[in-house]
Amino acid sequence: MRRHLHLFVTAARFDLLEHARNRFAMVLVALFIPSWISLAYAVIPSRPVAFRLRATGQLLAPAGNQITQITGAINAVTLITGFMMFAVTFNGGRFDRRLAMAGYPRIHLVMAKTTSLALASGTIAAYATAVTCTAWSPREPVQLAAALFWGAMTYGALGVVFGSLLRREVEGMFALVMTSLVDVGLQSPLASGGTGSAAVQFLPTYGTMQAATAAGFTHAPLSGDLAVQIGWFTGAALLGLLVFHRRTKDALATRSPFRPPWRSRRRQPARPARSASTPR
Amino acid sequence: MDLDLRPGVLAGIVGENGAGKSTLLRILSGELRPLGGEVRHGGRFGYCPQNVVVNDALTVRQHLEFFRVARGLPDLRHAGEVMEVLRLSEYADERAGLLSGGTRQKLNLTLALMHDPQVLLLDEPYQGFDWDTYQRFWDLAARLRDAGRSVLVVSHLAYDAERLDELWRLQGGVLHPAMAVPA
Repeated sequence: MRRHLHLFVTAARFDLLEHARNRFAMVLVALFIPSWISLAYAVIPSRPVAFRLRATGQLLAPAGNQITQITGAINAVTLITGFMMFAVTFNGGRFDRRLAMAGYPRIHLVMAKTTSLALASGTIAAYATAVTCTAWSPREPVQLAAALFWGAMTYGALGVVFGSLLRREVEGMFALVMTSLVDVGLQSPLASGGTGSAAVQFLPTYGTMQAATAAGFTHAPLSGDLAVQIGWFTGAALLGLLVFHRRTKDALATRSPFRPPWRSRRRQPARPARSASTPR
Repeated sequence: MDLDLRPGVLAGIVGENGAGKSTLLRILSGELRPLGGEVRHGGRFGYCPQNVVVNDALTVRQHLEFFRVARGLPDLRHAGEVMEVLRLSEYADERAGLLSGGTRQKLNLTLALMHDPQVLLLDEPYQGFDWDTYQRFWDLAARLRDAGRSVLVVSHLAYDAERLDELWRLQGGVLHPAMAVPA
């Protein structure tokens, strides 16, 4: 048990250290979140925007700058965790395989990565919620933070998938930004007025958007929508796990026991030439 | 191809660019699955990949700690000896991302040797080394061979052949015995 704990703590410690040394991500967290959320509040007009919240069927009419802050916060936290996880996965894929082949249990590596993602997502979600609360008072700030947290976790897992599958960094950045653009853009009440199309239910942050919007302007607990978002995270994480498993597989340890007979035939090894000037 | 790497042998594989030397070592180390055939190891092995595989965010000491835990080693005694030979100890608290190419390669090699493996698979392990470090690497390889380890080095024929006990040439997907040619 102590060995398992030691393996987990060691991997988690170095994972967090790696995130902390991603200076660009740290700058994004420190500056981009408050700047973007504050600008959205200051620049967007405060006149009411009417839309129907799909999850409850309620007609809401919050101030335009407040609803923009919420969609902006979703945008910011998801892109940052997506970028962080993409960066460590893209740069660390071969290192993870080397560790796994050196004997590091992959389950401990995965648990450590999930833990560091959860800590990063929790911190960023709490920070974005706190910044929002400095401008106005969302009805349910805890639910808002929880919604942002699961959205951030989902994009973190998507970052792992993109980081494992794509070959160039710029491809990963584009994949994340475009996914977020379509995802948040189609759902934004400001742009779509709470569209009636059922297609939005299949977007990656649908649960987060519904729960966060409800948290901002109602007292309705939307645990069902949070569960949808947790489902999205679970799906993306399982996909990431599958790719991680394939990338770190030891071909010697997983050789198929079923081999066609023409492959199992052994030949006598040829004798190598011996050097005449071997320095012993 | 058949390759039997016995204990106490320092062997080399040479071949033209693209002949498949690195692919062969990746198969022997378990990184790649062969289309056919099998690989059997008689003991714990260490593999030094051709491209440096380290984590730029971690220091040399943190790398050693990470791999010590991975391999379940009680201490870093053997790693310390390798680092002394390669003159890496003075960089223990430097982050890998800030090291020079040669020093990163020293770390790459140390990670492969730190658990005193019985079989060593080294893919051009001296890239970026200065001449003194290059010489010390071959002294280290000879010492390991004398201690009964099996050492397989993907190497450049012109400079390294005279240091090897056995020499193989990889050509057209076939491994041929080859005579060692002094540089």
